Amino acid sequence: MNIWTYFWIFLKGSLFSFGGLGNLPFLHQDLLLRGWASEADFINAIAVGQLSPGPSGLWSISLGYLTLGWLGGVLALLALTIPPLLSLGVNSFYQKIERKKPVKYFSRGLMLAVIGLSLGVTWSLSKTAITGWKDILIVITTIGLALSQRVPVIVILLLAGLVGYLIYGI
Amino acid sequence: MGQMQPEKNTYRKRGLLTLFFRWLSIGIQSFGGGSATFFLINQACIKFGWITEEEFLNAWALAQLTPGINLIKLTVFIGNRLHGWRGVLTSLTGLLIPSALVTLLMTAFYSQVQSIASVKAVMRGILPATIGMALAMTIRMLSPILKIAIKEGRYRFGIHIALVVITTIAMAAEMVSPLLIMLLTGAVSILLFQLTVGSVPQLEGDQPG
Repeated sequence: MNIWTYFWIFLKGSLFSFGGLGNLPFLHQDLLLRGWASEADFINAIAVGQLSPGPSGLWSISLGYLTLGWLGGVLALLALTIPPLLSLGVNSFYQKIERKKPVKYFSRGLMLAVIGLSLGVTWSLSKTAITGWKDILIVITTIGLALSQRVPVIVILLLAGLVGYLIYGI
Repeated sequence: MGQMQPEKNTYRKRGLLTLFFRWLSIGIQSFGGGSATFFLINQACIKFGWITEEEFLNAWALAQLTPGINLIKLTVFIGNRLHGWRGVLTSLTGLLIPSALVTLLMTAFYSQVQSIASVKAVMRGILPATIGMALAMTIRMLSPILKIAIKEGRYRFGIHIALVVITTIAMAAEMVSPLLIMLLTGAVSILLFQLTVGSVPQLEGDQPG
């Protein structure tokens, strides 16, 4: 494994994403292709990332640890902090051009693409995460609870863990 | 900008230390994903008078448009406003050190215990929930855009749906690079939205002001 390539993959993911799981499509494609991460690494990292404190985007630190230990975690953290530093400069430039119609259309298209990418990756991940109709019920319940915005994320996930234990553990 | 006089040096150092501990407390408290962190940052802005509510909303809107994690960009913006690049570094380390460390420790712990049967069972519940969270996030991103698209008429709405479906399939097929998908979708959008300008019922450009 080449460390620089590894770091560049994480940095690229962060550079071309807009928060949360935005870097997932990039990491998913590049790391899987090279065999540097498994499908299970991804779904586990996302799960740990949701459970842990801070922005949910920090999930890739967990992926870094699962694929390259502590060094991987630190590299992933660095990759996450560099692009936001650039945003200070980009902001003033964007404010100048955001009213132009082609720019509006382009950014609308980008938003749609980001949503499509995230749906596509979720589809790939669900092949590992979902094994039967009980799991589909968990997915649907989670969507409902999350969209209601009444239950904190951490509570939803802990409930899901409890359900998993009751279904598969006993 | 923000030139500091020499006699203000000690004041600044103390200011940075206070700033660091304030961000540290946000970082430690923000269990439960981004919304908790967002809430805590907003609260701190009001409590400590970091930036005004209007600046906060503005910074948040701009954060959506530039690359990277939005909450980190918000932190960078506030840190820069308060103490320049020193403020940026202080705020970032304060926010990220505890969260990143806990994330790493949790992952390390998880790799130790993941082969235990009961842990496996718990994870079999959490993993589908993670998929559900990802889908909920997508729905939350998509619904405001679709609401606008419906007002723009049937053609525009159809274009929106088609682009989402096509990008989803392209990504799931894992044959095209995500960056290429994004750029192509952006370019196609310019073309299609330009072509359908006539079909939009007197909406764009008639906002007052």
